[in-house]
Amino acid sequence: MRPLLKLDGVGKTYRLDDRLLTRMTRRTRSLAAVSGVDLVLRRGDVLGVVGESGCGKSTLARMILGMETPSAGRIHFDGQDITALSGTALIPIRKRMQMVFQDPGGSLNPRKTVRRVLTESLGLAGVPSQERAGAAISLLERVGLNATQLDRYPHELSGGQRQRVAIARALAMKPDLIVADEPVSALDVSLQAQIIRLLMRLRDELGLTLIFISHDLALVHHLCSEVIVMQAGRIVERGAPSDVLHRPTHAYTKLLLDAVPRVDVLARP
Amino acid sequence: MSDTVRGPGTVSTLLRRPAGLIGATLVAIVVLAALLAPWIAPADPVMVNLAVKLQPPGAAHWLGTDQTGRDLLSRILWGARPSLAVGLVAVLIGLVGGCGVGLTAGYYRGLWAQASMRVMDGLTSIPLLIWAIAVIGIVGVGPVHIGSLTLPNEAKVALLIGLFYMPPLARVTYGSALVEAASDYVRARQSQGAGDVAILVGDVLPNCLSPVIVQATLLVAVGIIVEASLSFIGLGVEPPNPSWGTMLADARSFVFTGQWWMSVCPGAAISASVIGFNLLGDALRDALDPRRSHGAPALSGLLG
Amino acid sequence: MPLLEVKDLHVGFPSHGRILEVVRGVSFTLEPGEALGLVGESGSGKSQTALSILRLLKPPGRILSGSVRFEGVELTQLDDRAMSALRGAGLSMVFQDAMASLNPAFTIGTQITDAIRAHRPVTRSTARDLAVDALTRVGIREAGSRLAQYPHQFSGGMRQRALIAMAIACRPRLLVADEPTTALDVTVQAQIVRLLAELRQELGLALLFITHNLDLMAQICDRALVMYGGLVLEEAPVAALFATPHQPYTAALMGCVPRLSDVPGQLGVIEGAPPIAGRMGPGCPFEPRCSQRIDRCVTERPPERRDGDRRVTCWVAA
Repeated sequence: MRPLLKLDGVGKTYRLDDRLLTRMTRRTRSLAAVSGVDLVLRRGDVLGVVGESGCGKSTLARMILGMETPSAGRIHFDGQDITALSGTALIPIRKRMQMVFQDPGGSLNPRKTVRRVLTESLGLAGVPSQERAGAAISLLERVGLNATQLDRYPHELSGGQRQRVAIARALAMKPDLIVADEPVSALDVSLQAQIIRLLMRLRDELGLTLIFISHDLALVHHLCSEVIVMQAGRIVERGAPSDVLHRPTHAYTKLLLDAVPRVDVLARP
Repeated sequence: MSDTVRGPGTVSTLLRRPAGLIGATLVAIVVLAALLAPWIAPADPVMVNLAVKLQPPGAAHWLGTDQTGRDLLSRILWGARPSLAVGLVAVLIGLVGGCGVGLTAGYYRGLWAQASMRVMDGLTSIPLLIWAIAVIGIVGVGPVHIGSLTLPNEAKVALLIGLFYMPPLARVTYGSALVEAASDYVRARQSQGAGDVAILVGDVLPNCLSPVIVQATLLVAVGIIVEASLSFIGLGVEPPNPSWGTMLADARSFVFTGQWWMSVCPGAAISASVIGFNLLGDALRDALDPRRSHGAPALSGLLG
Repeated sequence: MPLLEVKDLHVGFPSHGRILEVVRGVSFTLEPGEALGLVGESGSGKSQTALSILRLLKPPGRILSGSVRFEGVELTQLDDRAMSALRGAGLSMVFQDAMASLNPAFTIGTQITDAIRAHRPVTRSTARDLAVDALTRVGIREAGSRLAQYPHQFSGGMRQRALIAMAIACRPRLLVADEPTTALDVTVQAQIVRLLAELRQELGLALLFITHNLDLMAQICDRALVMYGGLVLEEAPVAALFATPHQPYTAALMGCVPRLSDVPGQLGVIEGAPPIAGRMGPGCPFEPRCSQRIDRCVTERPPERRDGDRRVTCWVAA
């Protein structure tokens, strides 16, 4: 069974101080945001990517989604090498991978109604215009909303509802892969739980393949079938959540886990 | 299901403030004057009647007559046309060109953004009025023939000003476009395969419009003054066609001889129009402030 | 005498001709040296409560009624000058977004020394020494050279530490921390919480810790208030709160906090969404989402019942 996504030695190096003069005098510095990432993702996997700010997880996500070109390594999607693709050749691939962003407020155009957002996406997915209205309602119902939200603007929805619409928009493309970058960090605790429950349900009902980027180890524990821990652009540990999160081997993973507040201990200095 | 409070619309917010109300009223008066001049003007604005020349405002001529007996009120009403036309056409040209440049520069960035913005900066460095005088002086005053169309001399003025309106509008659009083009919702559209044009027009542009509308309104006011200035020195509207600027030029000889209505009336018309558009522009800026145009974000900014 | 006494605080702002209340009658006390956690989600009114204590509400928001007494002084009646003198010296606040709280155009040193000299008549060099001391105390190494740096040269965690340094530079008795760790990485969060605990010990500082992160709050606080819809729904010592939450909201909230110790996939949930100011009914604000509601919850606001050192606002809870 061919893996859905395969990364071989993928890396991304940025050139800092990249101006004309410094380039000529070779005084540019480089920053290795990601290096040496090997990854295999099968259909139905839910991969958790954990790490702190600057570890490279967002850069990795952008490379997978085709928003940035890797400086090293190769990316294979469904058997096809997409590393060097760009422009029109990349569009049909990008449609098969959708993203759910962290900030539900910024990921929806404030001047478009939910109806317009969804019907536009459905149009790009090739759904004939007479079927789009009905399909939009089905999408909303699948994410736990209903037709009353259709004519609302994003500012008329709560944060949780906006995130649901963002997920519906991603689902409209019937993607093979969804990359969710901190999709619940900006939400209240009770709403976080709702969205995570929704993702779990979609994972089971639709067999979604998901990459879930989060700093919250407990969420990864609930949702994911595999976890990778990133530090300074590299994967330092990987495996099933029951191993990585409960029997960590790498020092950095242990550091992260130690920092998670534990209620059973309620220690005070 | 949660619901958020729907705030007041932009128009009602606009009209609630005194500045907005006055501005909108003045602009409305000018626009109506221009549109309805053929029907509401009491007399033919170019008809000469030396028998009634230099009459003060009275029953027969509400605003008096000028040195050739033409009715001032009619000339004022008809004079709104070139002023508004030049102002609006120039802004239109500036919008199309400026927004186009600003949008594409903000979206594509890179060399195009650098080059186009520098060109815009260069244009800004040229003083508008001097440039207009120079160009029209060289090209000459007279009607413009484009194919079968004959446009009056003001068309040259409108075109010139329009060109000069591109930099401020481009800059304003560029600033907003830079931010919007980097937003998540644009990225989402790109990842779904939406075409660049669809994204520029459907996603980026609508979110850049607020500051652009404000700027455009203020630029109409500038256009009115430029048209009046050029007409005043004889490079704008050609006599005998009525223009507030030419009326002021005619009134020059009569300022100290007691015929105050000849200079006060067109002067007041220019002032009223310019003040109206400026007030409207300021009020629009407040009404379109994203924190006020929707009720909910205003609330959510105050809630925990 | 309690350090801080808040009695029946009502905070709101005018909107379209009505007054929208976001804090609808909140009362609590804080003893010297105590750490009180204020837990709630969006719309709970927790931040507004904190801002009201320091009289930092953004107009048109204002305190509608109620009393806030700090060391016996009624803060709501103080004039601006007296309040300014008190802020920083008596009570102090730290906010969530350190970058937004620091002026990017001035060095950290300038900002801290300004804060010091606003309250104490010291020379510039003494203020500088105090600033170095404050920065060192919050765990910033080479504090002397750090003083000359600008906020953008600090990392997120260090900025938050610098903010805390500014807040404690004049030895206030109360520190109000509004979501001080929310935007930070988990390791940095733990460090900041540890720092706050140390400062409490060293300076005898009382702490009002506002957060939506229950577990984090439990690391540092002795008691906790749970707020929802502008009201305090429950108050209890932290251990008791976690062991036996009385209020259905508290219990539900704890149930939906994801923990590594959970069975994977089993996550509690509270359906619905937090309430909106001005759109709440006469009864309990949590009623629409409560699994234990009775008819009375819809029509009448539940009374507050005291039980030793605990308080519950609920019709159903024992």
